[in-house]
Amino acid sequence: MEGIEIALLGAALAVGFAGSGSAIGIGIVGQSAAGLISEDPDKFGQTLLLQALPGTQGIYGLLTGFLIMQNVGVIGDETVTITTSQGYAFLMASLPIAIAGLSSGIYQGRVLSSTINLIAKRPEEMGKGIVYAVMVETYAVFALLATVLILFGIDL
Amino acid sequence: MPIIDMKKVFLLGHYQEREQIFNLLHNLGIVEMVDVKSSETWDEFQSYLEPGQLPENVSQIDARRSDIRYCLDIFQRHYPIRKSIVEQFTGSSLDLTADQFASYLDSLDQVEEIHKSCCEAEEKLVSIRNEVIQSQNLIEDLQPWSALEIPLELIEDGSYTVMGLYTVNAEQYPALQDTLAANISDYFVEEVFPDQDVVHFFFSGLSEDKPVIDDLFREKTVTRVSFPDLTATPAESIKSLHEKLKILNDQKRAILSEIEALLEHRPMLMACYDYMDNEHAKHQATSNLGCTKSSFLLEGWVPVPVLGDLETAIANRTETAAIVSRDPNPDEDVPVLLHNSGPVEPYEVVTKLFSTPKRNELDPTPFMAPFFFLFFGICLSDAGYGLILTLLAVLISRKLKLEGMGKQLVTLLIYSGVSAFVFGLILGGYFGDLINLPPLWFDPLEEPMVMLIGSLGLGVIHIYFGMALQAYRNIKAGKVLSALYDQGFWFIFLNGLILLLVGFPFAGQWMAIIGAVGLILTQGRAQRSFVLKFLSGLLSLYNITQYLSDVLSYSRLFALGLASIVIGMVINAVGDLVAGSVIGYLILVIILLGGHFFNVIISSLSAYVHTSRLQYLEFFNKFFEGGGRSFQPFRAKNSYTDIVENEEG
Repeated sequence: MEGIEIALLGAALAVGFAGSGSAIGIGIVGQSAAGLISEDPDKFGQTLLLQALPGTQGIYGLLTGFLIMQNVGVIGDETVTITTSQGYAFLMASLPIAIAGLSSGIYQGRVLSSTINLIAKRPEEMGKGIVYAVMVETYAVFALLATVLILFGIDL
Repeated sequence: MPIIDMKKVFLLGHYQEREQIFNLLHNLGIVEMVDVKSSETWDEFQSYLEPGQLPENVSQIDARRSDIRYCLDIFQRHYPIRKSIVEQFTGSSLDLTADQFASYLDSLDQVEEIHKSCCEAEEKLVSIRNEVIQSQNLIEDLQPWSALEIPLELIEDGSYTVMGLYTVNAEQYPALQDTLAANISDYFVEEVFPDQDVVHFFFSGLSEDKPVIDDLFREKTVTRVSFPDLTATPAESIKSLHEKLKILNDQKRAILSEIEALLEHRPMLMACYDYMDNEHAKHQATSNLGCTKSSFLLEGWVPVPVLGDLETAIANRTETAAIVSRDPNPDEDVPVLLHNSGPVEPYEVVTKLFSTPKRNELDPTPFMAPFFFLFFGICLSDAGYGLILTLLAVLISRKLKLEGMGKQLVTLLIYSGVSAFVFGLILGGYFGDLINLPPLWFDPLEEPMVMLIGSLGLGVIHIYFGMALQAYRNIKAGKVLSALYDQGFWFIFLNGLILLLVGFPFAGQWMAIIGAVGLILTQGRAQRSFVLKFLSGLLSLYNITQYLSDVLSYSRLFALGLASIVIGMVINAVGDLVAGSVIGYLILVIILLGGHFFNVIISSLSAYVHTSRLQYLEFFNKFFEGGGRSFQPFRAKNSYTDIVENEEG
């Protein structure tokens, strides 16, 4: 593979894996939420907010993919030649968010699924449930940080 | 002081004036009632009191209240009042002017009648529902037999023959046929409906073979099916059942329209419910009183600033009630009311979502507010998004009459939008890169390290501030040495390490050593033996990992700030791809509007939750415990209605 293809593999991994994490997480929350709505349709707004939370991993993945695509010239007007080692550097950069995005999306979904149970009984405690979910998201944010720092550190 | 001082008040009055005074307190809404029985002097005066009893009409009020609730629930079940997305967060209520409210209360005597109609309607609905379920089940049971052309009432045992409908597991059926053929001479079997799992069949045989047949059937677990009340062929029965369902459905619709006709009373019932509910609360509260035949004693907590209001209000109402107040005892369970003025006030919601402070604790709100403002701005860091967030929040606060925490939250979002706007100017974010203006300071995409180090630096300041507050608490509590040992040495130690890191080896080294030695010598001071003292002192240095991870946690400010800008850029770039033709520009506009709106919502949400997290976990854990009980005054509480000012014109 040439440099550019390796870099694009990185972009694909970031978008695909982090996106899968979000999709699974959102799916888990959605299942619980639908169960709650069968009892109490007025909680739709609250549950929708909770369901949106595991979506950030996918956004971080998309963001990474976009930055890589822009850097290697797939999007935009610049044409850049990417050496094989630069290509690998882009691939490495994508890994933190790809891996942590997948796992944190899923586990955030699980925490939020329990939060749905929480608001079924005590809707006023939603804030605390969100804080628990944010604890999981922290590691996706850190992974994004590592990814972005590596990306910015690559000499072109 | 952000935490309001409370005084305990004792109100002694004439028994006859009890209701008057209660109404007054209920309207004022500034007293939290305390059960007299929990009073420390209860044992002394208990013997003087009449045994506590609820006024006789409390159960009557309760019954009426639940009648109204029953009707409203029925209305809600069949003709629900849908809430909009915003109302699902804020709650919705019916706006009534005081006059309307009063006029609705005049129809209180209609409640009984409405309740009666509702009960009847509901009863009929339940019996219809049961019949529907019954018929549906019967149809389901009949379905497999619909090919059978014998009227069901003819299928019964006669003097010479037996016959019936049977089902058997499909696997057993061939074996059953074999055994029947082997054991009985004359019989007739017809498969009516061969299901995959269960075979439905008609069987008839001679009466004299009945014992043998029964045994065979039992052996192969054959089940007899009968429809005792039906008199036509299965297909005809199904048809008539469907007709019955249609009739039932019509009946149901008729009853529902009866309920619909009652709906016009709904606002009246809502008003009456709220009235009854408050009456009920007032009467319930009397159980907290100590009463003799001609006097009553009330105990409660009142915030000091409004104590004067209470005294004048009571004095204006009656001359024969005595009111005394005293400062709380140290061991009393005093409720906590936060009061922060001006721009800090909305940040109370952040504190309250974590925990109400204890009475003698520092209210963290004013210390946390500036950081919250700052951090939220950095996380969103886009002038365009900040502007939209502020506008949205202003719109919401205009449209909805919010109270309490909802209002605080919206005001907080207004400020937060301003902060994001300012940071957008500083860092050059305008809807991502939609508007290309140079940043006032630097572009985080060009100089990411500046922003990362800046974020961590803010974190260090935040953490130090938390430590300083704990030191202040220690000193105020008279524990000056604790402040030196637990915060002072850490402060020296950490600063030494930071100096080492940024290239002042000499000063850094010595400060770190002094701090570390101080910590080793003091952190084990709770232990008994010398060895243990030393070991726990040494072990305490391990806490450095805690501080390290706390500081690193602030890197999320950078990551989120960058994320919101780059997501904006992604949206713009996607829009760029489609631009060109007329339709392309149309799509471009849709992408930009939808995409940026989406980003405002999602990025503001992450900014809010992550900023809160930094306060709760990195800041509060340095000095704040929480666990106080918030002040809950005795006051009017409406579930369904809202009294508004009379509308002009």
